[in-house]
Amino acid sequence: MLYLFLTFVVLLLMVMGTRGFTLLFGLGINVISVLALLILIADGFNILITTGIIAMVILVVAIYMNVDNGKTANTAFKTSLLIMVVILLITIPLEFWANAQGLAAENQDELESFSLAAGISYPQLAISIIVINSLGVISETSVAITSGLNEIVENKPTLTPMEIFNDGFSVGNKILNTQTNTLLFNFFSSTFPLFFVIHSLGYGLGEIVNDKLVVAEVLTTLICTIGVILTVPITSYLVYRESKKVTAN
Amino acid sequence: MKKNIRTLLLVGLLVILATVFTHFDSFLYKNPVMKVQEVQVLNKDTSTDQYKNTDTQITQRVSGILLNRNHKKVTFRNTYYKSQLIDTKYTKDQQVILTKSGKHYTPQNVKRDTTIVFATGLVIFLLFCMKFDRRRLFISVLINAVIYYGFVQIIIKTHDSILLPLTVITALLISATALLVILGPSYQALMAYSSTILSTTAAILLSVFVLGLSNYSGIHLELTDFELQPYLSVFLSQVIFSVLGVILDETMDISSSLIEMKKEVKDIAEKKLFKSGINIGRELIGPLINILLFIVIAEDLNVVLLYLSNGNSVGYTLNMTLSLGITQLLISAIGIVLTVPITSFIASRIITRKVK
Repeated sequence: MLYLFLTFVVLLLMVMGTRGFTLLFGLGINVISVLALLILIADGFNILITTGIIAMVILVVAIYMNVDNGKTANTAFKTSLLIMVVILLITIPLEFWANAQGLAAENQDELESFSLAAGISYPQLAISIIVINSLGVISETSVAITSGLNEIVENKPTLTPMEIFNDGFSVGNKILNTQTNTLLFNFFSSTFPLFFVIHSLGYGLGEIVNDKLVVAEVLTTLICTIGVILTVPITSYLVYRESKKVTAN
Repeated sequence: MKKNIRTLLLVGLLVILATVFTHFDSFLYKNPVMKVQEVQVLNKDTSTDQYKNTDTQITQRVSGILLNRNHKKVTFRNTYYKSQLIDTKYTKDQQVILTKSGKHYTPQNVKRDTTIVFATGLVIFLLFCMKFDRRRLFISVLINAVIYYGFVQIIIKTHDSILLPLTVITALLISATALLVILGPSYQALMAYSSTILSTTAAILLSVFVLGLSNYSGIHLELTDFELQPYLSVFLSQVIFSVLGVILDETMDISSSLIEMKKEVKDIAEKKLFKSGINIGRELIGPLINILLFIVIAEDLNVVLLYLSNGNSVGYTLNMTLSLGITQLLISAIGIVLTVPITSFIASRIITRKVK
């Protein structure tokens, strides 16, 4: 694995030049943040509050270190925070309703020799998992839409709010398509072993649509998609407010 | 405008109808479906295990009626830990699928189909609320889902023996579908397609070679999901699916920007075009690696915390749980980096000849 890491670093520096170091630094901070989150949760800190704080740190790093334009970064950060809150508001009732936390019978082999009285609230962890899952997609989507929209607005400063929303959707269409692909293909990647095991356990359709692990994966993908969809109107609104402020001065 | 609101109302109504229908669809199930009416806590036992985790084991008596067995009354006992790692707490008004063995009923699953239908409906409703190009999205998701279904059916029948070649074929099909739906049958789609395939192949081959040099030391391939065999094929198939969407995104971004540039500056040199491609690509690398970073790590959080709470050190835990994910991420990251020069090269060559 060390060789693999070195290969990555060499290739990255060849393509990125010295900016590769900044990128590595940002990735390092993100990995450390997630590790810190895990250790804090294992030590008994409140899962949802810790996740919220760490998510904010990660968004700051992911957005401000990758975006040079300050205005774009600010709008994208505000959008991501709002989306994060919306995702929490959707995920909490859905997870409570679906009871899709933790592991299931399919994991039996892996669970041998473990004490299952972990003392950690897995229903809360399930919510945290969806939030963490969405962080990369949300920050990338909001940055892409904000920078696309800002470019249009700067060239035509007299846009009406309706026009800004329309432009937002024309920028957003392509991004929605590509992000859905990313989410869908990752769903494929994580579920084909699961479906294979489910088949060997002899499940029927009724068991599959109610299966804890399948439902957890489907919910993750759907909730992340909702986050991507909502990014477009929220960004459009924020960009519109910014442009109004500029013209008022 | 009026027509829009009518469509929206119709879609909203359909979503609500579908959700309500799954709430009352117990007649479709062969197994008995119970509606919980009363839950009684019989026993609470708080204990601390050898790793100093304090958890409470609770025994509850759950009684209710069988919705698809003439409302027959049944009762079962359920024991769960408060942390609910693999067991479940049942609550009033919940629907539970049971299995019958002899005269006793045991819970098998919470009925979750209503939640799934509602969440799917919510996504569709939101798409209709806004001016997205829904048709293309639905078509590409549907075609890709059908291809994936076929893929799963075949690996089940062949017991994984041809998993890797099958994954490659599936990956070729789903990326072609995605590109054709987004870009249409154009030379740009062909350009992005060939760059995607080349980059992914290069990344996988290079990584397998590098991993082979160190004899896969430090990587617990046997810890793939559900310990499915053959380990390496399963792992590589997961890597391919996971990175494909991101690389598609990247190649499309670079090639479409280069086409715009060529249209604006007619006599731009091939070399300059290549350089611009690299510059555009540099901006994409960081965010795209981030996307996969969080998706890959989030997958394993349940298991990581199980290891940590069982008294394992952080180092051992990461080695056993995240090393595979990190390897997957590194291979993907190599793919994302390689895509930049490969796409820039292919695009700059084709565009100088094609776009006039």
